[in-house]
Amino acid sequence: MLEAAIEGLQSILTPYSLAMMSLGVFIGSLVGFLPGIGGPTTLAIMLPFVMVMKDPVTVIALLVGMDAVGNTASAFPSILISVPGSAGSQATILDGYPMAKRGEAARALSASFMASLVGGIVGPLILLASLPILRPLVLAFSSPEFFVLTLWGLAMVGVLSGNAPVKGLIAGILGVFIATVGLDMKSGIERFAFGEPYLWEGISLIIVALGIFGVPECIDLASRKSSIAERHELGSGFKEGILDVFRNLWLTIRSSAIGIWVGFLPGLGSSVADWFAYAHTIQTEKNTENFGKGDVRGVIAPEASNNAKEAGSYIPTLAFGIPGGTSTALILVAFTAVGINPGPDMLTTQLNFTFAIIWTLAIANIIAVAFCMAFVKPIAKCCFLPFYTIVPLILVFVFIGAFAAHFNHYDLLALLVFSALGFMMRRHGWPRAPLLLGVVLGTKMELYLWLSYTRYGVEWLLRPGVVILFILLLASVFYPIWQGRRGGVSRAAEAM
Amino acid sequence: MNWTKVERPLFTLLIGVVLAGAMLVSLEWPVRASIIILVLGAIGSALIIVQLVVDIKSAGKSSQALTMEAPAVKTDSRWGTLEIWSWIAAFFAAIHLVGFLAAVPLFVFSYTKTYGGGWLLSAALGALAGGFVYSLFNVLLHVPWPTPLIVSLIS
Repeated sequence: MLEAAIEGLQSILTPYSLAMMSLGVFIGSLVGFLPGIGGPTTLAIMLPFVMVMKDPVTVIALLVGMDAVGNTASAFPSILISVPGSAGSQATILDGYPMAKRGEAARALSASFMASLVGGIVGPLILLASLPILRPLVLAFSSPEFFVLTLWGLAMVGVLSGNAPVKGLIAGILGVFIATVGLDMKSGIERFAFGEPYLWEGISLIIVALGIFGVPECIDLASRKSSIAERHELGSGFKEGILDVFRNLWLTIRSSAIGIWVGFLPGLGSSVADWFAYAHTIQTEKNTENFGKGDVRGVIAPEASNNAKEAGSYIPTLAFGIPGGTSTALILVAFTAVGINPGPDMLTTQLNFTFAIIWTLAIANIIAVAFCMAFVKPIAKCCFLPFYTIVPLILVFVFIGAFAAHFNHYDLLALLVFSALGFMMRRHGWPRAPLLLGVVLGTKMELYLWLSYTRYGVEWLLRPGVVILFILLLASVFYPIWQGRRGGVSRAAEAM
Repeated sequence: MNWTKVERPLFTLLIGVVLAGAMLVSLEWPVRASIIILVLGAIGSALIIVQLVVDIKSAGKSSQALTMEAPAVKTDSRWGTLEIWSWIAAFFAAIHLVGFLAAVPLFVFSYTKTYGGGWLLSAALGALAGGFVYSLFNVLLHVPWPTPLIVSLIS
C-alpha cells in the first residue's frame, strides 16, 4: 500500500502533471468565480479534449484538479455580491454577505479559503482511511434509507428557518412543488408544464438560486444607493479569518466529515453538503444569535464541507463505479476512456491511480487556496465600489447565469418570476433557504419514496436503518424547538 | 395606510392558493405522479392556515429578524425599489429587443451614467461587460443566441 502511495505521489509530482493540475485548478477556480457556469458544464466541454489523451495520470491531474477546487473560488461571488458562484456555496451567502456588508469581506474570504483548505485536505485523508470501513455501509443503504435521509434534509428547514419554522416548512414544501415541474419520468405525465415545452425539463436550480438570492440582494443594494460594505474599510480581518478557522478547528473538521458523508452517498449532490454543515453548526454550536447576521462560523462550516464533499464523492465512484454526482459521472466517462477501471480494481491492481486521485485532491486544494488568498485583498475592495458600478454588473452576471441554463428567452422570464418571489419572501420575512433546499431535494425525495414503496410496500418503514434515521430526524426537528421554548421560558422568568 | 399589514397575509394567502391549485391539478394524474404533491400539499395547507392566523394576529408588527436570513427589505425604500425593478424590466425588454450582445453594454453604460458615473467610467464598464459576454459566450462557448426581435422585424 505504501509503495502504491509513493508511486501515486511521484506520478503526480512530475512537471507535466503539475502543469496540467495547475491548468485544471485555474479553470476550476475561474468557473467557480463566475456564477452560472457550473463545474459539470466545464467538465462536459473538456471531455472531448481529455478523451484523446493517452496518459491516465494526466487526465487525473487535469480533471480531478479542476473538480476539486470548484467550490473554493465560488466563495468570492457568494460573499461579495450574494450570488452563489456554484451550487455548493449557497449557504456561504447567509453569513458571508452580511460580513462583507459590515466591512469584513477580507476576514470572511480568508476564513472561507482556509476552511476550504482544511476541508480539501481532511477530505482525502478521510477518504483514504475510510475506504475499507465505508464499503459495507454504503451497500447496506437502499432507497428507503435514502428517502429518510432526504426527508431529514427537508425537515432541517425547521432548523434552517430559525424563529420562523412554519414559514420555513411551507417554503420547503413549495420548493418540492417547484422541483416536480416538468415531465415525470415514472408516469410520462406532464406536471405543471401547461403544454409549454420549456417546462418539460423542469426549472433549473441555478435560476431559482439566482432569482431568490441574487436579484433581491441587488434590489436592496440599488435601493440603498450605497456600496456593498456599509463601513468603508477593509479591516484587519485577513489574518483574523485564518485564525478563526484554527479557533474553530473542531467545527471545521466536523463540517469536513459531513461533506465527506454527503459526497459519499450517491445522488445527494453537491448542493446539499453546505446546508447540512450549516444546520449542524446552528444545532451544535453555542451563542448562535449572530448566525445569518455575519457569524464567521457560518462561513467556515459550509466552505469546509463543500470542499471535503469532493473527496467523498470519489468513494462510490472508485469503489463501486457509482458516481457520487454529475461531475464524478463525467469524470468516470473520461477515466474509462483512458483505461482506469472504477470498481474493485481501484483497490488492488490500480491502487496507484487511487492514490494519484487522493494526492491530486489534496495538492489541487493547496494550489487553489494559495491562488485565491493572493487575490483576497484586491477583490475584496470591490465591496467599497459605488453601487452604480456594482449593480449593473451583478445584474448582467445574474441574467447571463440564468440564460446559460437552457439558452432560452424563457430562462429570463423564469428568473424574473423567481426574483419577484424572492423579493416578496425577503420583504415579509420568509426564509428563502428552505425553498432552495426543497428544490434540491424534491426530485430525489419523490424518486426514493416511489422506489421504496414499489420494492418493499409499507414494510420499508420497519427497516432498522430507516427507524434509526427517523429517530435522528425527529431529534433534529424537535430538539431545537424544545431548546427555543426552554430559552423563551427562561427569558420570561428572568423578565419577571 | 400601512400596506405591510395587508401585504403579509395576502402573500401567505397567495402561496396557499398556489399550493391548493397545484393539489387540485394533480388530482387528475396517476398516484405515482401525484402522491408527493398530495401528501406534502395537505401538510402545507394546514401550515398555511396556521401562518395566516399568525399574520393576522401580528398585523402591524415588523418582520422578525430571521436566524438564517438577511434582514427584511425596508419598506420605506418603496420608490428606490420601484426604480430598480423598472431597470430590471427595461434590461429584460432590451435583451428581447436587441439581443444580449447589444443590451449588456447599453444597460451597464446607461445605469452607471444615470447614477453618477462619469462618461469614461460608464463607457469603460459597458465595454468591459460587453467584451466579457462576447469573448466568453460567442468566441469560447459558441452560444446560439436567439434572434433579437428587431432583427426578426427587419428581415
